[in-house]
Amino acid sequence: MVLRDLELRHFRNLGVQTLRFPPEGVAVIGDNAQGKTNLLEAIYYLECFRSFRGARDAELTAFSEDVFHVKGVLEGERPVTVAAGFDGSGKAKKVSVDGKEAPRFSAAFGRLGAMIFAPADVDLVSGGPARRRQFLDVVLSLNRSGYVKALQSYRKALAQRNAALRTGANPQAARAWDGTLVEHGARVTCLRAEWAAAWAEPFASYCSAISGGDRAALAYRADVGTAGDGAEAGAESGGSGAGVVGVVGGGDAVGAAAATGEAGEAQVAEAYRRRLAESWPSDVRRQRTTAGPHRDDLILTVEAPGRRVPVRAFGSGGQRRTAALALRLVEAATIRQQRGTEPILLLDDAFAELDDGRSQRVVALVEEESAGQVVLTAPSESDVRLRRPSLARWRIRGGVIEA
Amino acid sequence: MSSIDSLVRELRRLPGIGSKTAYRLAFHLVKGSAEDMKRLAAALHGVADRVHPCPVCGNYCEERVCPVCADPRRDRSVICVVEEAYEVGAIERTGRFKGLFHVLGGRLSPLDGVGPEALAFDGLLSRIDGEAGEPSEVILATNASVEGEATAVYLEGLLRPLSVRVTRLARGIPVGSDLEYVDGTTIAEALAGRREMSA
Ligand SMILES: Nc1ncnc2c1ncn2[C@@H]1O[C@H](COP(=O)(O)OP(=O)(O)O)[C@@H](O)[C@H]1O
Ligand SMILES: [Mg+2]
Ligand SMILES: [Zn+2]
Repeated sequence: MVLRDLELRHFRNLGVQTLRFPPEGVAVIGDNAQGKTNLLEAIYYLECFRSFRGARDAELTAFSEDVFHVKGVLEGERPVTVAAGFDGSGKAKKVSVDGKEAPRFSAAFGRLGAMIFAPADVDLVSGGPARRRQFLDVVLSLNRSGYVKALQSYRKALAQRNAALRTGANPQAARAWDGTLVEHGARVTCLRAEWAAAWAEPFASYCSAISGGDRAALAYRADVGTAGDGAEAGAESGGSGAGVVGVVGGGDAVGAAAATGEAGEAQVAEAYRRRLAESWPSDVRRQRTTAGPHRDDLILTVEAPGRRVPVRAFGSGGQRRTAALALRLVEAATIRQQRGTEPILLLDDAFAELDDGRSQRVVALVEEESAGQVVLTAPSESDVRLRRPSLARWRIRGGVIEA
Repeated sequence: MSSIDSLVRELRRLPGIGSKTAYRLAFHLVKGSAEDMKRLAAALHGVADRVHPCPVCGNYCEERVCPVCADPRRDRSVICVVEEAYEVGAIERTGRFKGLFHVLGGRLSPLDGVGPEALAFDGLLSRIDGEAGEPSEVILATNASVEGEATAVYLEGLLRPLSVRVTRLARGIPVGSDLEYVDGTTIAEALAGRREMSA
């Protein structure tokens, strides 16, 4: 899709303005704390109706206001208008597509087809497993039908089962949740593992292209694919160290099973059922569910002399930033493939922490891969590295954009 | 506290009614005729004085037992289990079910403090053990939500040792809906539950 018009009302410091974007995109240039990231945050808000940096809606509302609105007019095969509004006084949020209120936010997810990358994304790689699960959940919610529902049902069954375990009076009652937990958990596991299996190759080649030759890999580690308490203890101690490399194989096995569709999902469900039975005594003791996709991870590794090591624990700063950017490029490629539209790239000060060589290779990669709209921010003209000479330049100051 | 304030406070306790709506309703009532208000009050009085759960099935009624349980033409070999009393009406309106009902009074939800002891499971078990005519089938018509599903599973576990057939409502694509707008999970369920087409 191409973002044509963006109407802003009291989103952060952006005030009331209407912007018309060139189809090719724009470079937004401004000093620190002027609102560059806020602008990208507003655009991406229309993709999934929350802040990409995890801010609450109240924090997105201009300091002296109760209500904010964002509206985007998109051009593409099927032009569409997406709008979102939040009223802090009643804590009410409304989302509409072409003027019709969406019954659930998830029904309006992914209309932009946008990917956003910011330097803070390095925590995709250096953060804990929860950060990577969240990444997968967002990518799959936006790109795979059925994922949102499976994930929500899984989370609900998990929360209910844990609550039943905590009441302690009748722990057996907790097992009533096993069926839904397995059914939806297996689907969540399979869709994630399938995604990881499908994109492992592109991820490796992005990493290699950006770093200039590093051999990186990506694999999904499914909890249901690892047996016994030893693996569990290894995962709990931070998922780093040599132990984890052994576990990657387990993840691949699940990936392979998942990739075989309906039959694979039945196999994963069977494995999950076994895991639940195995861990039942420890679930009762700890009063929570210890097995399932809420413990999974996306394992990113890079080849060091003689062995493969997790980037999270052993990668250099440059390797971590490379892996994070490669994940985002894979996300963009997922949009291209699943939705059949050229993704909108939102690049927030993207080159800030990359060395020169990496920056140049990223620029080359983006220019070669992506024919779509690019909205990038940078503190100064010299940081706008994209070579498209015709890319428009906007200035931003105190939230006010000058086209 | 003024009379209007206490009315607002009572209205706010109803499900789905926040303060704004409660105020609107209260002022709507006050603006209308005193007659209308008294009729509403009388209706509430009537319900409060006369309506109670049927001692057999848990559905609401004014008689000693509810009309369904009292009706000699109903098929006593089948009991349809629902979460809430208002769901009995939904099934009755189809005109397709001739058996008896059992109202659980909710669904398992430990997050809200609702465990097995809070639901009318015991009543159901004693009906199967004791009822004249021996129910031979129990239809679990709890909702297709995560909670409804768990409730059905739990009940199935309780019923298994008894010699009774336990069935569950089919899940699938709602009549009148376009495939394009049905979510993947529902389509997958409908696929799994597909049936032969008879010529
Ligand atoms: N809810 C809000 N209302 C008004 N201003 C805000 C709000 N949230 C953040 N800001 C302001 O936005 C600015 C930071 O914007 P940001 O887009 O992060 O800067 P940058 O241009 O460095 O990316 C700060 O001046 C901050 O005070
Ligand atoms: Mg910024
Ligand atoms: Zn009755």
